[in-house]
Amino acid sequence: MLSEIRERAQGWVAWAIVILISIPFALWGIQSYLGVGGDPVVAKVNGHEITERQFNQNVQRTRMELRNRLGDAYDPDLFGGLRLRDQVLDSMIRDTVLLDASRAMGLATSDAAVRGAILAEPAFQLNGAFDNDTYRRVLQLQGLTPSMYEEQLRQRLLATQLSRAVSGTEFVLPGQVDESIRLLDQQRRFEFVRLGRDAYVPQTAPDDAEIQAFYDANQDLFQVPEQVRVSYLLLDANSLAGSSEAVDEQLLRARYEEQIEQFVQPERRGLRHILLTVPMDADNEAAAAVKARMEALRERILAGEPFADIAAEASEDPGSAAAGGDLGMVDQGVLDPAIEQAAFALEANVLSEPVRSRFGYHLLEVTAVEGGAPLPFEEVRAQLLAELSRGDAEAAYFDLAERLANLTYESPDSLIPAAEALDMSVQTSDWFDRAGGEGLFASPRVVAAAFSEEVLAIGSNSDLIEPDPEAMQAIVLRVDEHRPASVQPLSEVREQVLTLIQERRATDAARAAAMAMVERLEAGEPLAEVAEAQVDAGQGGPAILAPGPVGRNTADVDPAVLDLAFSLPRPAPDSGSPQAASTVTADGDVVVVQLFEVIDGDPAAMAADARAAESRVLASALARSAYDRLLDDLESRAQIEREPLGAEDVAQ
Amino acid sequence: MAELLTDEEKVEAIKKWWKANGVSVVAGVVIGLGAVFGWRGWVSYQTGVAQQASIAFEQLLATAATGQVEATELQAGSIVDDFGGTPYAMFADLALARTRADAGDLPGAALALEAAIGRAPEPALARLAALRLARVLIADDQLERAADVIDQHDDDAAFAADFAALRGDIALRQGRADAARTAYRAAIDGGAGNSRLIELKLENLPATDAS
Repeated sequence: MLSEIRERAQGWVAWAIVILISIPFALWGIQSYLGVGGDPVVAKVNGHEITERQFNQNVQRTRMELRNRLGDAYDPDLFGGLRLRDQVLDSMIRDTVLLDASRAMGLATSDAAVRGAILAEPAFQLNGAFDNDTYRRVLQLQGLTPSMYEEQLRQRLLATQLSRAVSGTEFVLPGQVDESIRLLDQQRRFEFVRLGRDAYVPQTAPDDAEIQAFYDANQDLFQVPEQVRVSYLLLDANSLAGSSEAVDEQLLRARYEEQIEQFVQPERRGLRHILLTVPMDADNEAAAAVKARMEALRERILAGEPFADIAAEASEDPGSAAAGGDLGMVDQGVLDPAIEQAAFALEANVLSEPVRSRFGYHLLEVTAVEGGAPLPFEEVRAQLLAELSRGDAEAAYFDLAERLANLTYESPDSLIPAAEALDMSVQTSDWFDRAGGEGLFASPRVVAAAFSEEVLAIGSNSDLIEPDPEAMQAIVLRVDEHRPASVQPLSEVREQVLTLIQERRATDAARAAAMAMVERLEAGEPLAEVAEAQVDAGQGGPAILAPGPVGRNTADVDPAVLDLAFSLPRPAPDSGSPQAASTVTADGDVVVVQLFEVIDGDPAAMAADARAAESRVLASALARSAYDRLLDDLESRAQIEREPLGAEDVAQ
Repeated sequence: MAELLTDEEKVEAIKKWWKANGVSVVAGVVIGLGAVFGWRGWVSYQTGVAQQASIAFEQLLATAATGQVEATELQAGSIVDDFGGTPYAMFADLALARTRADAGDLPGAALALEAAIGRAPEPALARLAALRLARVLIADDQLERAADVIDQHDDDAAFAADFAALRGDIALRQGRADAARTAYRAAIDGGAGNSRLIELKLENLPATDAS
């Protein structure tokens, strides 16, 4: 039998079986080499892959950081989109380029640096010192082994080396600082005239053809954005509060009894005293002597002498003696504990026994008692009522809101069923656009709902929207009317067009006059003569303003004038050929500026520490820019393949 | 044919084969293992050297920041001597240039930067060093040399704007206002670093070339 098997085994069937079996063995694990079936790759940098998983992790981390940093200002719509994902991928590609280049250059992180970074990490410390167990536990929580973490850390440290090599070796030469100070602290001496637009308005009005042409050419000025008008049901907890029915007096009383402790006023007492001091180091005999003196005073008061007189005469408390020992109204917790105990135990207008405190012996009398008892029901009734109805209103609000949401969802084509069922009235808004309207319709949530696909295009009711979660308001709306973006017809804006044409012509005329002035100024005529020949020559021409030498940041001169004065070429010193130019200001007037002199900032006049600060600013700007350029350069030569990014995947 | 052989004959055949090929097989295995372990050893040696160099460089950076010229010279020198094959040698030159420039030794700084360019492990770093060298030369009033350095190294879009700004500085010092204006404009349009300062320089130019 064996020989039979042996014979058969030589045949082609056997070979076929062996080959078939060997295929899976040969190909086992090949996918890890080919990348088949592995993580999808979003980008490839010099052969290093950035997988979709890493990318999504980074996107989420970035989003979380933004949320932490911005707090309430964080708007998921703003940061959810393609732009954020694009930026994250850009920065991941840059990081990979940096890491790859660092490795290719032969940079390395020493074990000592890795160890140092781990020892310095606060998350791994227990009582201010590195703790191995804490270290391992923290890593375990992140699903990392120490060697994985150390490798990550090594990479991170490696990635910072180039940046430190660039910024740590940056320098600023003294000449650069001087130049920067000369420029930044520069002052310029100039004169200017302002040609008011109003003086150049042409006498003749434009004809219809011109108006039409202007209107046609400037349609964007008369655009009206897309607008909607909505009807809505508004639920407001505040209006519910007012509608609370007849008040149940019994219930209020019960509430009062329940919360009576809240209405107890802290007790205060009017107090006067006489003090006879006992020195800190006095022995019992001395103290007894003082006490005896106090007893004598007490006897005198009991015999009928006025407390105040005795206090003025004998009290050794300089603060109160003159006032007859009066301490005024005193809260609990203010006085020496021994006195307080006695004072709050005394009945009103009864003289105390001598009381020992750390100051000495006191004689106390209570002149008035305030508080201590709960406020009467009548005084707090209004407050109780308000609280009660607010509580009711909140419960009613949540109940109504839920029913409103359900009803408007069940009949999405109309608000009327819900309005009838809940006894509410359907209200109508004004027109508003995507930028929002008045009051309720200024809320971005309401506007977004009104312009949402579901409401605007399909015409359903909106969901229940709470414009401001604090305010306990809820609204459901549907679009009544929709006006697409349009251009106002000429008949409506004719006046506006007319004004615009005249204003533009006036500015053009003023500019032409200004250019003629500049030409004459450049030919060497003085500004005074040139100005006098202007349109309103009757009044002696526009006034010449000479602000004197001013710095770049002065607030005294119109910014348009200042910008022009500081951008004119530097006149040669003492050449007698000042520079001139004109520009249009923000309000349509035209100014002609003549620059006479540039006075450089004086580096020598700057204090040493200010100069050092300036130098640091320059150096860090240089370093930052140099490092960016370096990365740009590396990136431009790297082989980068990017997959096009899809829109946001919903899975969070 | 195999079926015709007895067991003795098979053993004999194998022995014969081993005699003929044994030496080459052993040699092949030895060479193969040697290559693998040798390569590993070489890589770990290299990493070790780079790690030591990185420690030395961190120390150098700390020293350079304190402005101690002599100590920096000493440490930078030893990095260049001991780790000449690593990129840290170039970084050491950069640090040296900074210390010398801070101390006002412009020719010395220029020398260090020239050495750095020669040792740069990466063309981008050479361009960065050239940028600094040109700045030092301009401050030292060697405008021709500065222009030569810029012409030699201005061959990548990333640094073009910054080089253009320096060309503007050179032209300004040579009294060629129009050339300076063109260069500064190119620098601003190309997004050079600290473009606000370049704008100020641009607006400070005289209208025409100085005679």
